[in-house]
Amino acid sequence: MRRALVLVITLLSVSFLVFMIPYITPGDPVRKILRARTGDLDLDPEAVERLRVAYGLDRPLHEQYLDWLGRALTGDLGLSFTSRADVAGMLGSALGVTATLAVAALLFALLVALPLGSIAAIRRGRPADTIITTVTQAFVAIPEYWMAPVLVLVFALRLGALPSAGWDDPRYMILPCLTLALRPMSYFTQVTRASMIDVLESPHIVAARSRGLSFGVAMVRHGVRNAILPVVTLFSVWLAGLLGGSVVVEVIFSIPGMGRLLYTAVVNSDTPVLQAAVVCIVGLTIIITTLTDVLYAVINPTVRSANVAA
Amino acid sequence: MSLLDDPRSHALDSTADAITTGARSRGWTRLATWPWSLRVGVALLGTVLLVLLLTPWLAPYDPAAQDLTNRLTAPGGEHVLGTDHLGRDVLSRLMHGGRFSVSVAALTLAISAVAGTLLGIVCARVRGAFDELVMRVADVLLAFPEMVVAMMLVAILGAGQGTLIVALVIAGWTPFARLARGLAIEINARDFVEAAECLGFSRRFIVLRHLLPNALGPLMAHASLRFGHKLITVGALSYLGLGVQPPDSDWGSMLAEGQPYMTRSPGLVVFPGLAIFVTALAVTLISQGIDVRRRRQG
Repeated sequence: MRRALVLVITLLSVSFLVFMIPYITPGDPVRKILRARTGDLDLDPEAVERLRVAYGLDRPLHEQYLDWLGRALTGDLGLSFTSRADVAGMLGSALGVTATLAVAALLFALLVALPLGSIAAIRRGRPADTIITTVTQAFVAIPEYWMAPVLVLVFALRLGALPSAGWDDPRYMILPCLTLALRPMSYFTQVTRASMIDVLESPHIVAARSRGLSFGVAMVRHGVRNAILPVVTLFSVWLAGLLGGSVVVEVIFSIPGMGRLLYTAVVNSDTPVLQAAVVCIVGLTIIITTLTDVLYAVINPTVRSANVAA
Repeated sequence: MSLLDDPRSHALDSTADAITTGARSRGWTRLATWPWSLRVGVALLGTVLLVLLLTPWLAPYDPAAQDLTNRLTAPGGEHVLGTDHLGRDVLSRLMHGGRFSVSVAALTLAISAVAGTLLGIVCARVRGAFDELVMRVADVLLAFPEMVVAMMLVAILGAGQGTLIVALVIAGWTPFARLARGLAIEINARDFVEAAECLGFSRRFIVLRHLLPNALGPLMAHASLRFGHKLITVGALSYLGLGVQPPDSDWGSMLAEGQPYMTRSPGLVVFPGLAIFVTALAVTLISQGIDVRRRRQG
């Protein structure tokens, strides 16, 4: 219950922060709307006042906020300043694209990280472990805006094997996914390794092995669940993180997702889109994090108490 | 504190043993005891910093000097790393741009670390409503991806170096505050703090003499862990045109400027990215090395 309360308060404060953006930026919001729409610098003062009344921007701030919040809650997020398209619709399609991209990238990262991390754990302290650990840790130091152009240069421009930008069939997903997957792959591998080591040394695995169970059987019956749990948690944290964290990759590959939506909104001073995108990203981040926390406790209550202490 | 609070920091899980090993961390000067990652990391970072420090004397050309007859030349010859689309010397630009990238990353990290640590320690000492307020604000900020904070601030303040620093500090102080608060609460409960309190020492004395020195190790470990990440984010914002503004340039903006010409001159993209990678890698190796070393001793 306390959780839910914190969630609501956080969301409300975020929405208020975001609502205030046009008011704390220098300049008159009405003039900014007109300028974004017409690009005109000399605005007719009468037209400005008419628009102010028409949009209700002459009312007290708290009234405007409640009105804005009420409409946002019913799904009416207004129209884009620049394209005049429905913001809710724009947000919906962008969210779908980013979610697809993020899930694909993270699944790919998992697919590589789980075996790598397990091998490193089993061969702990041997050359294989050192190589895997060092190489995957180096992934964290690779900037996406370097990886992406280099991949484009090699696979799209030189080899012509893959499209360099856009969002159409699954082939368009390969390079962006590869770029996005590097960093989570590094963390997934490290966490898999650490939790596998814990499991390998845990008494029930040692007991199972001493009962004569083979290594594989012991792991499948008693170890895998505990080993994978922390990785699953990390997966959802990254999922939340990539909702707003794939800006660079989406811009480079011209992918019509949340990140590029946010970026173009900032560049064009498209306030309604910016506000909606920020609330959406932050709201989803909080919801995913909370759900994960709850799920984690449901799946494994013992781990929960252990982690509270950490 | 659950696993979810900040899964990317290893520093949090090893808080307790870090405090106890703090007293033992002498003998840092004995190079032979360093793990290889620490040695390589320190050597790499040292080289980068030295070059950046000596740039005014080392850089072969003026980074802004254009030579339109010598555009997009390949590496080698007169210009060691070639020239860009305006005929500017890439090596000189890399050196000057690096000063900007590294100093902005270091500056934001320093401000975040100091502000976060102080807030965290004050929270731990005062507790009550102030503590609750700061921690709730940190909770809210934690839900904002760094990029989103930066975008919002660019929308409010406009693009530029100042915005970049403010955005990264707003997004960056929370882990330090949480870590410092946790450490301070733990240290507070220990005998020597209680003894100092019984002896009537002032709060300030206890914080300066007992809390800070004991919390410093884990906090530094966390800071070194964050530096590479900061450097990459600074570059990302400049790459997107939201950070450093022309005529200034840094590694991120150089990469963006070079991208349209990368088929002809791949170096324009490869070199700035390599510079960021090497610097970030050096710091990663250092924090990994410190970790290994601590575990060996622990």
